[in-house]
Amino acid sequence: MEHGRPDQLGREPGAVVELPASAAPPVDVALEELEFVYAYIFARVGNRADAEDLTQQVALKAIPRLREGAPASAIRGYLFATARSVLGGFWSRRLGLSEAELHEDLAMAVPQAPPSQERADTVQGILAELSDNYRRVLELRFLHGYSLKEVAAEMNSTVGAVKVMQLRALRAAAKVKVDL
Amino acid sequence: MNKPESRVDKIVSDLLHGRRLRLRGGDAEEKAAIVTAARLAAARQGPQRMNPAFRKRLEQALESAPKEPWMTRRAALVAGVGLAATAVAGGLVGRALEPAAATKRVAGGLVNPINGRWVDVAAMSDLVEGQGKHVTAGGVGAFLFRRGDTVSAVTSICTHLPCELRWNGGNAVLDCSCHPASFMPDGTSTDPTYPLPTLNKVQVRVTTAGRVEVLGTA
Repeated sequence: MEHGRPDQLGREPGAVVELPASAAPPVDVALEELEFVYAYIFARVGNRADAEDLTQQVALKAIPRLREGAPASAIRGYLFATARSVLGGFWSRRLGLSEAELHEDLAMAVPQAPPSQERADTVQGILAELSDNYRRVLELRFLHGYSLKEVAAEMNSTVGAVKVMQLRALRAAAKVKVDL
Repeated sequence: MNKPESRVDKIVSDLLHGRRLRLRGGDAEEKAAIVTAARLAAARQGPQRMNPAFRKRLEQALESAPKEPWMTRRAALVAGVGLAATAVAGGLVGRALEPAAATKRVAGGLVNPINGRWVDVAAMSDLVEGQGKHVTAGGVGAFLFRRGDTVSAVTSICTHLPCELRWNGGNAVLDCSCHPASFMPDGTSTDPTYPLPTLNKVQVRVTTAGRVEVLGTA
């Protein structure tokens, strides 16, 4: 081809040619979707070891779908459907909870954005529904990370009494109807 | 540790120290309290991203997946390729493409329910090597066979007429309840002169907790 003249496809020399996109999404796209899944699972199981195990289960199940070149939105839907099933199995095995008792985990919608301040606000909403003592014990224990002894000292109570109050407060919080 | 408040506090303490959730018995209210405790413990730490080392492991798992164009199950079956599902204890579903033996009349296909879901059907310890165990996962009936740390599964429906198969421990075969036909644990017909089509394989896996799950229906 002579310099300065269009080629057979009519492209000017030096023109940018867009190559067709790869059918399969790049691994980093898949990993970003799995970050969603990890955050969602962590928010439910509350510890890293279980969250990693469950996320890995979701990832390995999803590999075939990730390789079919599905759009990110479809991948996310599939990942969260898988996450529902994995979480359901987790609670069922660890606590013997039935699916009826897991209505929230199994009916969860596919999130459109990473978990953010909303979740913290929701937890505050639950605590706000509790009596002063129940709210205080959960705030100190969970949000401030106090030991039982420290909570007892803060509330002018005994460790035994705080332990009982903590259980009652958690039972009461479990009954608050808020979409976590 | 027998008192519920002590059991739940141990779990709370584990959670606040970043340890795994562990079952310590209790009634429905106690279980609900534990689920709530897990969420409150998570809220304390705020939105989480994956640990870099864990993310790296996942990345390697994704990259080491087969690079060849993914073959759909239908295409695999049309091409006469059997898809074998093998479950490995401590791992997850491992799938391998196996060339079908040229002499087989029909390769056993894969039961692949639409909107299928993994159903917990047994503990690994429930399975006895060399013995078939009948299980149901919603609308999917299957016989499980343990071999070491792996489990395989075939449908519990005969390929001749849709009758339920029965495990014949004496001969180590699956007998049809309607006709004098039987199948080996791998699903192949025992009759060499007029072999029936191979039983469909059922997808099965073993979880890290040692539970056996079958891909069934709701």
